[in-house]
Amino acid sequence: MVRLLPSKERLSKGSRVSAEELAADVAVDAVASEQTAPTDAIIDDDMPESDLVFNVSDLSVYYGDFRAVRDVNMAIRPKEITALIGPSGCGKSTVLRSFNRMNDLIPTARVEGTLLYRGVDLYDERVDPVEVRRRIGMVFQKPNPFPKSIYDNVAYGPRVAGQKKGLDDVVESSLKKAALWDEVKDRLNESAIGMSGGQQQRLSIARAIAGDPEVLLMDEPCSALDPIATARIEELMAELKDEYTILIVTHNMQQAARVSDRTAFYSVEVDEKSDRRTGILVEYTNTEKLFSNPDDERTENYITGRFG
Amino acid sequence: MSQIELRGNFHEELNIVSDTIVTLAAHVTEAIPRATEALINNDLELAQEVISHDDELDLLSLQIEERCYALIALQQPMAIDMRSIVTAMKINGEYERSGDLAVNICKGVRRIYGISLSPTLRGLVTSMGEEAVRLTRVSVDAYAEGSEGLAAALPDMDDRLDDLQADFIQEIFAAHSRGELKLEETVQLALVARFYERIGDHAVNIGDRVMYMVTGESTESAGAARARAAQEGDEAE
Ligand SMILES: Nc1ncnc2c1ncn2[C@@H]1O[C@H](COP(=O)(O)OP(=O)(O)OP(=O)(O)O)[C@@H](O)[C@H]1O
Ligand SMILES: [Mg+2]
Repeated sequence: MVRLLPSKERLSKGSRVSAEELAADVAVDAVASEQTAPTDAIIDDDMPESDLVFNVSDLSVYYGDFRAVRDVNMAIRPKEITALIGPSGCGKSTVLRSFNRMNDLIPTARVEGTLLYRGVDLYDERVDPVEVRRRIGMVFQKPNPFPKSIYDNVAYGPRVAGQKKGLDDVVESSLKKAALWDEVKDRLNESAIGMSGGQQQRLSIARAIAGDPEVLLMDEPCSALDPIATARIEELMAELKDEYTILIVTHNMQQAARVSDRTAFYSVEVDEKSDRRTGILVEYTNTEKLFSNPDDERTENYITGRFG
Repeated sequence: MSQIELRGNFHEELNIVSDTIVTLAAHVTEAIPRATEALINNDLELAQEVISHDDELDLLSLQIEERCYALIALQQPMAIDMRSIVTAMKINGEYERSGDLAVNICKGVRRIYGISLSPTLRGLVTSMGEEAVRLTRVSVDAYAEGSEGLAAALPDMDDRLDDLQADFIQEIFAAHSRGELKLEETVQLALVARFYERIGDHAVNIGDRVMYMVTGESTESAGAARARAAQEGDEAE
Protein backbone atom coordinates (compact mmCIF):
# COMPACT_ATOMS: atom_id res chain seq x y z
CA MET A 1 0.00 0.00 0.00
CA VAL A 2 1.17 3.46 -0.74
CA ARG A 3 1.81 5.73 2.18
CA LEU A 4 1.74 9.21 0.88
CA LEU A 5 -1.35 10.38 2.65
CA PRO A 6 -1.30 11.34 6.30
CA SER A 7 -4.21 10.15 8.43
CA LYS A 8 -6.85 12.71 9.27
CA GLU A 9 -5.85 12.56 12.88
CA ARG A 10 -2.23 13.28 12.10
CA LEU A 11 -3.14 15.99 9.69
CA SER A 12 -5.04 17.77 12.36
CA LYS A 13 -1.88 17.80 14.45
CA GLY A 14 -0.13 19.29 11.47
CA SER A 15 2.61 16.71 11.29
CA ARG A 16 3.77 14.16 8.73
CA VAL A 17 3.01 10.52 9.28
CA SER A 18 4.85 7.26 9.64
CA ALA A 19 4.47 4.62 7.01
CA GLU A 20 2.83 2.11 9.34
CA GLU A 21 0.06 4.42 10.30
CA LEU A 22 -0.68 5.21 6.74
CA ALA A 23 -0.80 1.62 5.62
CA ALA A 24 -4.11 1.19 7.32
CA ASP A 25 -5.50 4.52 6.26
CA VAL A 26 -8.94 4.15 4.82
CA ALA A 27 -8.78 7.58 3.26
CA VAL A 28 -6.16 6.30 0.87
CA ASP A 29 -8.45 3.64 -0.48
CA ALA A 30 -11.33 6.05 -0.71
CA VAL A 31 -9.29 8.52 -2.70
CA ALA A 32 -7.85 5.83 -4.88
CA SER A 33 -11.13 4.29 -5.94
CA GLU A 34 -12.74 7.64 -6.45
CA GLN A 35 -10.14 8.75 -8.92
CA THR A 36 -9.73 5.68 -11.06
CA ALA A 37 -12.88 6.03 -13.09
CA PRO A 38 -12.12 7.72 -16.41
CA THR A 39 -8.92 6.22 -17.70
CA ASP A 40 -8.19 5.84 -21.32
CA ALA A 41 -4.70 4.52 -20.98
CA ILE A 42 -3.16 4.12 -24.39
CA ILE A 43 -1.61 0.76 -23.91
CA ASP A 44 -1.78 -2.29 -26.08
CA ASP A 45 -2.18 -4.95 -23.45
CA ASP A 46 -4.00 -4.90 -20.19
CA MET A 47 -2.52 -4.79 -16.78
CA PRO A 48 -4.74 -4.65 -13.75
CA GLU A 49 -5.06 -1.07 -12.57
CA SER A 50 -3.67 -2.09 -9.19
CA ASP A 51 -0.36 -3.23 -10.66
CA LEU A 52 0.34 0.01 -12.49
CA VAL A 53 2.91 2.37 -11.04
CA PHE A 54 1.32 5.43 -12.61
CA ASN A 55 -1.97 5.95 -14.31
CA VAL A 56 -2.31 9.32 -15.92
CA SER A 57 -5.72 10.48 -17.12
CA ASP A 58 -6.48 13.61 -19.07
CA LEU A 59 -3.48 15.39 -17.67
CA SER A 60 -2.99 19.00 -18.74
CA VAL A 61 -0.26 21.24 -17.41
CA TYR A 62 -0.52 25.03 -17.44
CA TYR A 63 2.03 27.75 -16.87
CA GLY A 64 -0.27 30.60 -15.93
CA ASP A 65 -2.83 30.82 -18.76
CA PHE A 66 -0.62 28.93 -21.13
CA ARG A 67 -1.54 25.30 -21.54
CA ALA A 68 1.80 23.60 -22.22
CA VAL A 69 0.45 20.04 -22.60
CA ARG A 70 -3.05 18.70 -22.82
CA ASP A 71 -5.03 15.52 -22.35
CA VAL A 72 -2.23 13.09 -21.64
CA ASN A 73 -3.26 9.52 -20.93
CA MET A 74 -0.52 7.13 -20.01
CA ALA A 75 -0.14 4.03 -17.87
CA ILE A 76 3.30 3.18 -16.53
CA ARG A 77 4.05 -0.38 -15.59
CA PRO A 78 6.45 -1.46 -12.85
CA LYS A 79 10.10 -2.15 -13.61
CA GLU A 80 9.93 -0.94 -17.12
CA ILE A 81 11.77 1.85 -18.81
CA THR A 82 9.50 4.33 -20.53
CA ALA A 83 11.02 6.85 -22.92
CA LEU A 84 9.48 10.23 -23.71
CA ILE A 85 10.54 11.59 -27.07
CA GLY A 86 9.43 14.46 -29.25
CA PRO A 87 10.47 17.83 -30.63
CA SER A 88 11.70 20.63 -28.42
CA GLY A 89 8.96 22.39 -26.53
CA CYS A 90 6.40 19.57 -26.81
CA GLY A 91 6.29 19.30 -23.04
CA LYS A 92 8.38 16.25 -22.24
CA SER A 93 10.07 17.88 -19.26
CA THR A 94 6.78 19.38 -18.17
CA VAL A 95 5.12 15.96 -18.15
CA LEU A 96 8.11 14.31 -16.50
CA ARG A 97 8.15 16.93 -13.74
CA SER A 98 4.48 16.35 -13.07
CA PHE A 99 5.27 12.74 -12.14
CA ASN A 100 6.96 13.85 -8.91
CA ARG A 101 5.34 17.23 -8.42
CA MET A 102 8.49 19.04 -9.38
CA ASN A 103 6.17 21.48 -11.17
CA ASP A 104 5.02 22.66 -7.74
CA LEU A 105 8.33 24.46 -7.50
CA ILE A 106 7.35 26.63 -10.48
CA PRO A 107 4.91 29.23 -9.10
CA THR A 108 2.83 29.56 -12.29
CA ALA A 109 2.54 25.83 -12.95
CA ARG A 110 -0.82 24.13 -12.50
CA VAL A 111 -1.95 20.59 -13.20
CA GLU A 112 -5.37 19.36 -14.34
CA GLY A 113 -6.57 15.80 -14.67
CA THR A 114 -5.42 12.92 -12.53
CA LEU A 115 -2.07 11.35 -11.98
CA LEU A 116 -2.40 8.23 -9.89
CA TYR A 117 0.69 6.79 -8.30
CA ARG A 118 -0.01 3.30 -7.01
CA GLY A 119 -3.67 4.18 -7.01
CA VAL A 120 -3.22 7.40 -5.03
CA ASP A 121 -3.88 10.80 -6.58
CA LEU A 122 -0.49 12.49 -6.42
CA TYR A 123 -2.09 15.91 -6.47
CA ASP A 124 -4.45 15.21 -3.62
CA GLU A 125 -3.98 18.11 -1.25
CA ARG A 126 -3.15 15.78 1.58
CA VAL A 127 -0.22 14.25 -0.26
CA ASP A 128 3.20 15.34 0.97
CA PRO A 129 5.26 16.50 -2.03
CA VAL A 130 8.52 15.93 -0.18
CA GLU A 131 7.63 12.29 0.32
CA VAL A 132 6.56 12.11 -3.33
CA ARG A 133 9.97 13.34 -4.46
CA ARG A 134 11.72 10.83 -2.23
CA ARG A 135 9.78 7.93 -3.71
CA ILE A 136 10.01 9.29 -7.19
CA GLY A 137 13.59 10.47 -7.63
CA MET A 138 14.87 12.71 -10.36
CA VAL A 139 18.09 12.85 -12.35
CA PHE A 140 18.72 15.99 -14.41
CA GLN A 141 20.55 16.78 -17.59
CA LYS A 142 23.44 18.45 -15.79
CA PRO A 143 24.74 16.52 -12.79
CA ASN A 144 25.50 19.59 -10.59
CA PRO A 145 27.00 17.82 -7.58
CA PHE A 146 27.39 19.86 -4.39
CA PRO A 147 30.89 21.15 -3.80
CA LYS A 148 31.28 18.55 -1.12
CA SER A 149 32.78 15.10 -0.81
CA ILE A 150 31.46 12.19 -2.83
CA TYR A 151 30.26 10.65 0.43
CA ASP A 152 28.38 13.76 1.49
CA ASN A 153 26.72 14.07 -1.89
CA VAL A 154 25.22 10.60 -1.61
CA ALA A 155 24.43 10.89 2.09
CA TYR A 156 22.74 14.26 1.62
CA GLY A 157 19.22 12.99 0.99
CA PRO A 158 19.09 10.47 3.82
CA ARG A 159 20.60 13.06 6.20
CA VAL A 160 18.00 15.65 5.28
CA ALA A 161 15.37 12.99 5.89
CA GLY A 162 16.79 12.65 9.39
CA GLN A 163 18.74 9.46 9.02
CA LYS A 164 21.82 9.29 11.26
CA LYS A 165 22.71 5.63 11.54
CA GLY A 166 23.78 3.30 8.75
CA LEU A 167 24.78 6.10 6.39
CA ASP A 168 27.94 4.24 5.39
CA ASP A 169 25.83 1.34 4.20
CA VAL A 170 23.46 3.56 2.28
CA VAL A 171 26.36 5.35 0.58
CA GLU A 172 28.08 2.10 -0.33
CA SER A 173 25.01 0.33 -1.66
CA SER A 174 23.85 3.40 -3.60
CA LEU A 175 27.24 3.85 -5.23
CA LYS A 176 27.32 0.14 -6.04
CA LYS A 177 23.91 0.25 -7.64
CA ALA A 178 25.02 3.28 -9.62
CA ALA A 179 28.06 1.30 -10.84
CA LEU A 180 30.39 3.85 -9.33
CA TRP A 181 31.65 2.17 -6.18
CA ASP A 182 34.76 0.55 -7.65
CA GLU A 183 35.90 3.82 -9.13
CA VAL A 184 35.43 5.96 -6.01
CA LYS A 185 35.63 3.68 -2.98
CA ASP A 186 39.16 4.84 -2.16
CA ARG A 187 38.37 8.52 -2.45
CA LEU A 188 34.98 8.95 -0.88
CA ASN A 189 36.15 12.05 0.93
CA GLU A 190 37.42 13.80 -2.15
CA SER A 191 35.35 16.50 -3.74
CA ALA A 192 32.72 15.39 -6.23
CA ILE A 193 33.61 18.36 -8.42
CA GLY A 194 36.74 16.60 -9.62
CA MET A 195 34.84 13.70 -11.15
CA SER A 196 34.32 13.26 -14.87
CA GLY A 197 30.94 14.17 -16.37
CA GLY A 198 29.95 10.53 -16.70
CA GLN A 199 30.96 9.83 -13.10
CA GLN A 200 29.08 12.89 -11.90
CA GLN A 201 25.96 11.68 -13.66
CA ARG A 202 26.27 8.26 -12.03
CA LEU A 203 26.75 10.12 -8.75
CA SER A 204 23.43 11.90 -9.40
CA ILE A 205 21.86 8.49 -9.89
CA ALA A 206 23.47 7.27 -6.64
CA ARG A 207 22.06 10.33 -4.91
CA ALA A 208 18.58 9.61 -6.20
CA ILE A 209 18.90 5.95 -5.22
CA ALA A 210 20.06 6.83 -1.68
CA GLY A 211 16.58 8.17 -0.99
CA ASP A 212 15.24 4.63 -1.56
CA PRO A 213 12.85 5.55 -4.36
CA GLU A 214 10.61 3.28 -6.39
CA VAL A 215 10.75 5.39 -9.52
CA LEU A 216 13.58 7.28 -11.23
CA LEU A 217 12.78 10.15 -13.55
CA MET A 218 15.60 11.15 -15.88
CA ASP A 219 15.52 14.27 -18.02
CA GLU A 220 18.07 13.95 -20.84
CA PRO A 221 20.59 12.33 -18.49
CA CYS A 222 23.16 11.68 -21.21
CA SER A 223 22.94 14.80 -23.32
CA ALA A 224 26.17 16.22 -21.87
CA LEU A 225 28.07 12.93 -22.00
CA ASP A 226 30.39 11.33 -24.53
CA PRO A 227 29.36 8.04 -26.17
CA ILE A 228 31.27 5.85 -23.71
CA ALA A 229 29.88 7.59 -20.64
CA THR A 230 26.46 7.41 -22.33
CA ALA A 231 26.83 3.68 -22.93
CA ARG A 232 27.69 3.19 -19.23
CA ILE A 233 24.56 5.04 -18.15
CA GLU A 234 22.47 3.02 -20.58
CA GLU A 235 23.96 -0.18 -19.25
CA LEU A 236 23.30 1.04 -15.72
CA MET A 237 19.66 1.76 -16.60
CA ALA A 238 19.25 -1.81 -17.79
CA GLU A 239 20.55 -3.02 -14.39
CA LEU A 240 18.45 -0.56 -12.40
CA LYS A 241 15.36 -1.81 -14.18
CA ASP A 242 15.41 -4.92 -11.97
CA GLU A 243 14.59 -2.72 -9.01
CA TYR A 244 13.18 0.56 -10.27
CA THR A 245 10.63 1.91 -12.67
CA ILE A 246 12.32 4.42 -14.93
CA LEU A 247 11.04 7.27 -17.08
CA ILE A 248 13.53 8.95 -19.35
CA VAL A 249 13.27 11.99 -21.58
CA THR A 250 15.73 11.86 -24.43
CA HIS A 251 16.37 13.62 -27.71
CA ASN A 252 18.37 10.67 -28.86
CA MET A 253 15.96 8.33 -30.61
CA GLN A 254 18.53 5.59 -30.83
CA GLN A 255 18.90 5.83 -27.07
CA ALA A 256 15.15 5.56 -26.58
CA ALA A 257 15.17 2.57 -28.92
CA ARG A 258 18.08 0.92 -27.12
CA VAL A 259 17.03 1.33 -23.51
CA SER A 260 13.27 1.54 -23.25
CA ASP A 261 10.43 -0.96 -23.16
CA ARG A 262 7.82 1.58 -24.14
CA THR A 263 8.06 4.88 -25.87
CA ALA A 264 5.74 7.85 -25.78
CA PHE A 265 5.95 10.25 -28.69
CA TYR A 266 4.87 13.80 -27.91
CA SER A 267 4.35 16.51 -30.46
CA VAL A 268 3.25 20.11 -30.66
CA GLU A 269 -0.12 21.22 -31.89
CA VAL A 270 -0.24 24.77 -33.21
CA ASP A 271 -3.49 26.71 -33.08
CA GLU A 272 -3.77 28.57 -36.40
CA LYS A 273 -5.60 31.58 -34.95
CA SER A 274 -3.84 32.19 -31.67
CA ASP A 275 -0.53 30.63 -32.73
CA ARG A 276 -0.56 28.88 -29.38
CA ARG A 277 1.54 25.75 -29.15
CA THR A 278 0.31 22.88 -27.06
CA GLY A 279 2.06 19.59 -26.39
CA ILE A 280 0.11 16.40 -27.04
CA LEU A 281 0.83 12.71 -26.62
CA VAL A 282 0.59 11.29 -30.12
CA GLU A 283 1.48 7.64 -29.70
CA TYR A 284 2.48 5.47 -26.79
CA THR A 285 3.34 1.85 -27.40
CA ASN A 286 6.03 -0.84 -27.29
CA THR A 287 9.36 0.63 -28.28
CA GLU A 288 9.98 -1.94 -30.97
CA LYS A 289 6.61 -1.26 -32.50
CA LEU A 290 7.00 2.50 -32.33
CA PHE A 291 10.34 2.51 -34.08
CA SER A 292 9.68 -0.19 -36.65
CA ASN A 293 6.04 0.33 -37.51
CA PRO A 294 4.29 3.20 -35.74
CA ASP A 295 0.53 3.59 -36.13
CA ASP A 296 0.44 7.36 -36.36
CA GLU A 297 1.75 9.19 -39.39
CA ARG A 298 3.04 12.02 -37.22
CA THR A 299 5.22 9.55 -35.33
CA GLU A 300 6.45 8.08 -38.57
CA ASN A 301 7.32 11.50 -39.96
CA TYR A 302 9.18 12.49 -36.82
CA ILE A 303 11.27 9.37 -36.37
CA THR A 304 12.18 9.24 -40.04
CA GLY A 305 13.08 12.94 -40.00
CA ARG A 306 10.56 13.87 -42.67
CA PHE A 307 9.17 16.89 -40.89
CA GLY A 308 10.56 19.39 -38.44
CA MET B 1 4.21 22.02 -37.75
CA SER B 2 6.24 23.34 -40.61
CA GLN B 3 6.78 20.77 -43.30
CA ILE B 4 10.52 20.70 -43.70
CA GLU B 5 12.23 17.70 -45.16
CA LEU B 6 14.95 17.15 -42.57
CA ARG B 7 16.71 14.18 -44.01
CA GLY B 8 16.51 15.07 -47.67
CA ASN B 9 19.85 13.54 -48.56
CA PHE B 10 18.98 10.34 -46.83
CA HIS B 11 15.70 9.98 -48.66
CA GLU B 12 17.37 10.79 -51.95
CA GLU B 13 19.84 8.01 -51.25
CA LEU B 14 16.98 5.69 -50.44
CA ASN B 15 15.39 6.56 -53.79
CA ILE B 16 18.65 5.75 -55.54
CA VAL B 17 18.63 2.35 -53.87
CA SER B 18 15.12 1.55 -55.05
CA ASP B 19 15.82 2.90 -58.55
CA THR B 20 18.88 0.67 -58.77
CA ILE B 21 16.85 -2.32 -57.66
CA VAL B 22 14.31 -1.58 -60.38
CA THR B 23 17.20 -1.46 -62.89
CA LEU B 24 18.53 -4.76 -61.61
CA ALA B 25 15.08 -6.31 -61.90
CA ALA B 26 14.75 -4.94 -65.45
CA HIS B 27 18.00 -6.69 -66.40
CA VAL B 28 16.70 -9.91 -64.90
CA THR B 29 13.42 -9.69 -66.77
CA GLU B 30 15.43 -9.28 -69.97
CA ALA B 31 17.79 -12.17 -69.19
CA ILE B 32 14.95 -14.68 -68.77
CA PRO B 33 13.44 -14.45 -72.31
CA ARG B 34 16.92 -14.44 -73.78
CA ALA B 35 17.74 -17.64 -71.90
CA THR B 36 14.48 -19.14 -73.15
CA GLU B 37 15.28 -18.13 -76.70
CA ALA B 38 18.76 -19.64 -76.43
CA LEU B 39 17.21 -22.86 -75.16
CA ILE B 40 14.59 -23.16 -77.85
CA ASN B 41 16.90 -22.19 -80.73
CA ASN B 42 19.99 -24.03 -79.52
CA ASP B 43 21.72 -20.66 -79.65
CA LEU B 44 25.06 -21.02 -77.84
CA GLU B 45 26.18 -17.50 -78.68
CA LEU B 46 23.11 -15.97 -77.08
CA ALA B 47 23.50 -18.28 -74.08
CA GLN B 48 27.07 -17.03 -73.66
CA GLU B 49 25.94 -13.41 -73.87
CA VAL B 50 23.46 -13.93 -71.05
CA ILE B 51 26.12 -15.64 -68.96
CA SER B 52 28.65 -12.84 -69.50
CA HIS B 53 26.10 -10.12 -68.88
CA ASP B 54 25.37 -11.56 -65.45
CA ASP B 55 28.62 -10.06 -64.13
CA GLU B 56 27.09 -6.63 -64.56
CA LEU B 57 24.04 -7.72 -62.60
CA ASP B 58 26.30 -8.98 -59.82
CA LEU B 59 28.08 -5.65 -59.71
CA LEU B 60 24.79 -3.76 -59.57
CA SER B 61 23.64 -5.99 -56.77
CA LEU B 62 26.87 -5.42 -54.85
CA GLN B 63 26.49 -1.66 -55.23
CA ILE B 64 22.96 -1.81 -53.88
CA GLU B 65 24.13 -3.81 -50.91
CA GLU B 66 27.00 -1.45 -50.12
CA ARG B 67 24.75 1.58 -50.34
CA CYS B 68 22.33 -0.06 -47.92
CA TYR B 69 25.13 -0.82 -45.43
CA ALA B 70 26.29 2.78 -45.59
CA LEU B 71 22.76 4.10 -45.04
CA ILE B 72 22.26 1.87 -42.03
CA ALA B 73 25.63 2.76 -40.52
CA LEU B 74 25.34 6.49 -41.10
CA GLN B 75 21.65 7.14 -40.69
CA GLN B 76 20.25 4.49 -38.32
CA PRO B 77 16.97 4.51 -40.17
CA MET B 78 13.69 3.89 -38.42
CA ALA B 79 10.12 2.91 -39.26
CA ILE B 80 9.36 2.94 -43.01
CA ASP B 81 12.97 3.92 -43.74
CA MET B 82 14.30 0.96 -41.81
CA ARG B 83 11.77 -1.37 -43.44
CA SER B 84 12.62 -0.01 -46.89
CA ILE B 85 16.32 -0.66 -46.46
CA VAL B 86 15.87 -4.12 -45.02
CA THR B 87 13.47 -4.91 -47.86
CA ALA B 88 15.88 -3.52 -50.44
CA MET B 89 18.68 -5.72 -49.12
CA LYS B 90 16.52 -8.83 -49.09
CA ILE B 91 14.99 -8.43 -52.51
CA ASN B 92 18.32 -7.38 -53.96
CA GLY B 93 19.45 -10.90 -53.09
CA GLU B 94 16.33 -12.41 -54.64
CA TYR B 95 16.85 -10.65 -57.99
CA GLU B 96 20.50 -11.50 -57.98
CA ARG B 97 19.55 -15.18 -57.55
CA SER B 98 16.96 -14.96 -60.32
CA GLY B 99 19.69 -13.59 -62.57
CA ASP B 100 21.86 -16.56 -61.65
CA LEU B 101 19.00 -18.90 -62.52
CA ALA B 102 18.78 -17.41 -66.03
CA VAL B 103 22.52 -18.11 -66.26
CA ASN B 104 21.93 -21.67 -65.09
CA ILE B 105 19.36 -22.16 -67.85
CA CYS B 106 21.96 -20.97 -70.38
CA LYS B 107 24.54 -23.36 -68.98
CA GLY B 108 21.93 -26.10 -69.45
CA VAL B 109 21.67 -25.00 -73.10
CA ARG B 110 25.36 -25.80 -73.53
CA ARG B 111 24.98 -29.23 -71.95
CA ILE B 112 22.11 -30.32 -74.17
CA TYR B 113 23.43 -28.69 -77.30
CA GLY B 114 22.06 -30.29 -80.43
CA ILE B 115 18.82 -31.78 -79.13
CA SER B 116 15.61 -30.85 -80.82
CA LEU B 117 12.62 -30.33 -78.57
CA SER B 118 9.19 -31.54 -79.56
CA PRO B 119 6.59 -28.83 -80.30
CA THR B 120 4.86 -29.68 -77.01
CA LEU B 121 8.07 -29.22 -75.02
CA ARG B 122 8.92 -26.03 -76.87
CA GLY B 123 5.46 -24.72 -76.08
CA LEU B 124 5.84 -25.57 -72.39
CA VAL B 125 9.32 -23.99 -72.19
CA THR B 126 7.97 -20.83 -73.84
CA SER B 127 5.09 -20.69 -71.37
CA MET B 128 7.35 -21.27 -68.37
CA GLY B 129 9.63 -18.48 -69.59
CA GLU B 130 6.70 -16.12 -70.05
CA GLU B 131 5.29 -16.90 -66.63
CA ALA B 132 8.70 -16.41 -64.98
CA VAL B 133 9.03 -13.00 -66.65
CA ARG B 134 5.49 -12.03 -65.71
CA LEU B 135 6.06 -12.94 -62.06
CA THR B 136 9.33 -11.02 -61.97
CA ARG B 137 7.68 -7.96 -63.57
CA VAL B 138 4.78 -7.97 -61.16
CA SER B 139 7.20 -8.33 -58.24
CA VAL B 140 9.15 -5.26 -59.30
CA ASP B 141 5.96 -3.29 -59.93
CA ALA B 142 4.77 -4.26 -56.46
CA TYR B 143 8.07 -3.04 -55.03
CA ALA B 144 8.32 0.18 -57.02
CA GLU B 145 4.73 1.13 -56.25
CA GLY B 146 4.73 -0.23 -52.72
CA SER B 147 1.59 -2.12 -53.71
CA GLU B 148 0.20 -4.65 -51.29
CA GLY B 149 -2.34 -5.74 -53.89
CA LEU B 150 0.22 -6.68 -56.53
CA ALA B 151 2.38 -8.39 -53.93
CA ALA B 152 -0.61 -10.41 -52.76
CA ALA B 153 -1.35 -11.60 -56.31
CA LEU B 154 2.04 -13.27 -56.69
CA PRO B 155 1.47 -16.62 -54.93
CA ASP B 156 -1.56 -17.43 -57.12
CA MET B 157 0.32 -16.45 -60.25
CA ASP B 158 3.14 -18.70 -59.15
CA ASP B 159 0.79 -21.68 -59.00
CA ARG B 160 0.48 -21.43 -62.79
CA LEU B 161 4.23 -21.72 -63.19
CA ASP B 162 4.32 -24.66 -60.81
CA ASP B 163 1.65 -26.42 -62.89
CA LEU B 164 3.56 -25.77 -66.10
CA GLN B 165 6.68 -27.16 -64.53
CA ALA B 166 4.83 -30.33 -63.45
CA ASP B 167 3.43 -30.75 -66.99
CA PHE B 168 6.86 -30.24 -68.47
CA ILE B 169 8.49 -32.84 -66.21
CA GLN B 170 5.76 -35.35 -67.06
CA GLU B 171 6.25 -34.64 -70.72
CA ILE B 172 10.04 -35.09 -70.69
CA PHE B 173 9.76 -38.38 -68.84
CA ALA B 174 7.21 -39.55 -71.41
CA ALA B 175 9.56 -38.46 -74.20
CA HIS B 176 12.39 -40.31 -72.45
CA SER B 177 10.43 -43.55 -72.27
CA ARG B 178 9.52 -43.18 -75.94
CA GLY B 179 13.28 -43.00 -76.60
CA GLU B 180 13.14 -39.40 -77.84
CA LEU B 181 15.35 -38.04 -75.04
CA LYS B 182 18.46 -39.54 -73.50
CA LEU B 183 18.62 -39.88 -69.72
CA GLU B 184 21.29 -37.14 -69.57
CA GLU B 185 19.10 -34.77 -71.61
CA THR B 186 16.04 -35.59 -69.53
CA VAL B 187 17.90 -34.75 -66.33
CA GLN B 188 19.21 -31.48 -67.76
CA LEU B 189 15.74 -30.47 -68.94
CA ALA B 190 14.26 -31.32 -65.54
CA LEU B 191 16.84 -29.01 -63.98
CA VAL B 192 16.00 -26.26 -66.44
CA ALA B 193 12.33 -26.55 -65.49
CA ARG B 194 13.34 -26.33 -61.88
CA PHE B 195 15.28 -23.11 -62.60
CA TYR B 196 12.17 -21.46 -64.04
CA GLU B 197 10.18 -22.61 -61.08
CA ARG B 198 12.74 -21.12 -58.68
CA ILE B 199 12.54 -17.74 -60.44
CA GLY B 200 8.84 -17.80 -59.60
CA ASP B 201 9.61 -18.58 -55.97
CA HIS B 202 11.95 -15.61 -55.76
CA ALA B 203 9.20 -13.36 -57.12
CA VAL B 204 6.85 -14.66 -54.42
CA ASN B 205 9.50 -13.98 -51.76
CA ILE B 206 9.86 -10.46 -53.10
CA GLY B 207 6.10 -10.02 -52.75
CA ASP B 208 6.35 -11.09 -49.09
CA ARG B 209 9.11 -8.55 -48.52
CA VAL B 210 7.09 -5.82 -50.14
CA MET B 211 4.20 -6.68 -47.82
CA TYR B 212 6.56 -6.26 -44.88
CA MET B 213 7.83 -2.97 -46.21
CA VAL B 214 4.32 -1.62 -46.66
CA THR B 215 2.54 -3.04 -43.63
CA GLY B 216 5.35 -3.73 -41.17
CA GLU B 217 4.14 -7.30 -40.75
CA SER B 218 6.27 -10.25 -41.76
CA THR B 219 4.61 -13.06 -43.65
CA GLU B 220 5.17 -16.34 -41.94
CA SER B 221 5.88 -19.36 -44.12
CA ALA B 222 3.95 -22.54 -43.37
CA GLY B 223 7.19 -24.10 -42.09
CA ALA B 224 7.97 -21.18 -39.80
CA ALA B 225 4.41 -21.31 -38.47
CA ARG B 226 4.84 -25.01 -37.64
CA ALA B 227 8.17 -24.39 -35.92
CA ARG B 228 6.71 -21.50 -33.93
CA ALA B 229 3.73 -23.61 -32.86
CA ALA B 230 6.10 -26.39 -31.79
CA GLN B 231 8.27 -23.95 -29.80
CA GLU B 232 5.28 -22.41 -28.10
CA GLY B 233 4.08 -25.90 -27.26
CA ASP B 234 7.46 -26.64 -25.63
CA GLU B 235 7.31 -23.47 -23.60
CA ALA B 236 3.80 -24.24 -22.41
CA GLU B 237 4.95 -27.55 -20.96
N1 LIG C 1 8.77 27.37 -16.13
C1 LIG C 1 8.07 27.62 -17.22
N2 LIG C 1 7.30 28.72 -17.33
C2 LIG C 1 6.59 28.98 -18.43
N3 LIG C 1 6.56 28.21 -19.51
C3 LIG C 1 7.32 27.09 -19.49
C4 LIG C 1 8.10 26.74 -18.34
N4 LIG C 1 8.74 25.57 -18.61
C5 LIG C 1 8.36 25.23 -19.85
N5 LIG C 1 7.51 26.11 -20.38
C6 LIG C 1 6.88 26.05 -21.72
O1 LIG C 1 6.14 24.85 -21.81
C7 LIG C 1 6.32 24.23 -23.06
C8 LIG C 1 6.91 22.84 -22.88
O2 LIG C 1 8.22 22.98 -22.35
P1 LIG C 1 9.10 21.75 -21.92
O3 LIG C 1 10.34 22.27 -21.32
O4 LIG C 1 8.29 20.82 -21.08
O5 LIG C 1 9.39 21.06 -23.33
P2 LIG C 1 10.40 19.88 -23.69
O6 LIG C 1 9.65 18.94 -24.56
O7 LIG C 1 11.03 19.35 -22.47
O8 LIG C 1 11.47 20.65 -24.59
P3 LIG C 1 13.04 20.38 -24.74
O9 LIG C 1 13.14 19.18 -25.59
O10 LIG C 1 13.53 21.61 -25.42
O11 LIG C 1 13.62 20.18 -23.37
C9 LIG C 1 7.22 25.15 -23.86
O12 LIG C 1 6.41 25.96 -24.65
C10 LIG C 1 7.91 25.97 -22.80
O13 LIG C 1 8.25 27.25 -23.27
MG1 LIG D 1 13.02 19.26 -21.73
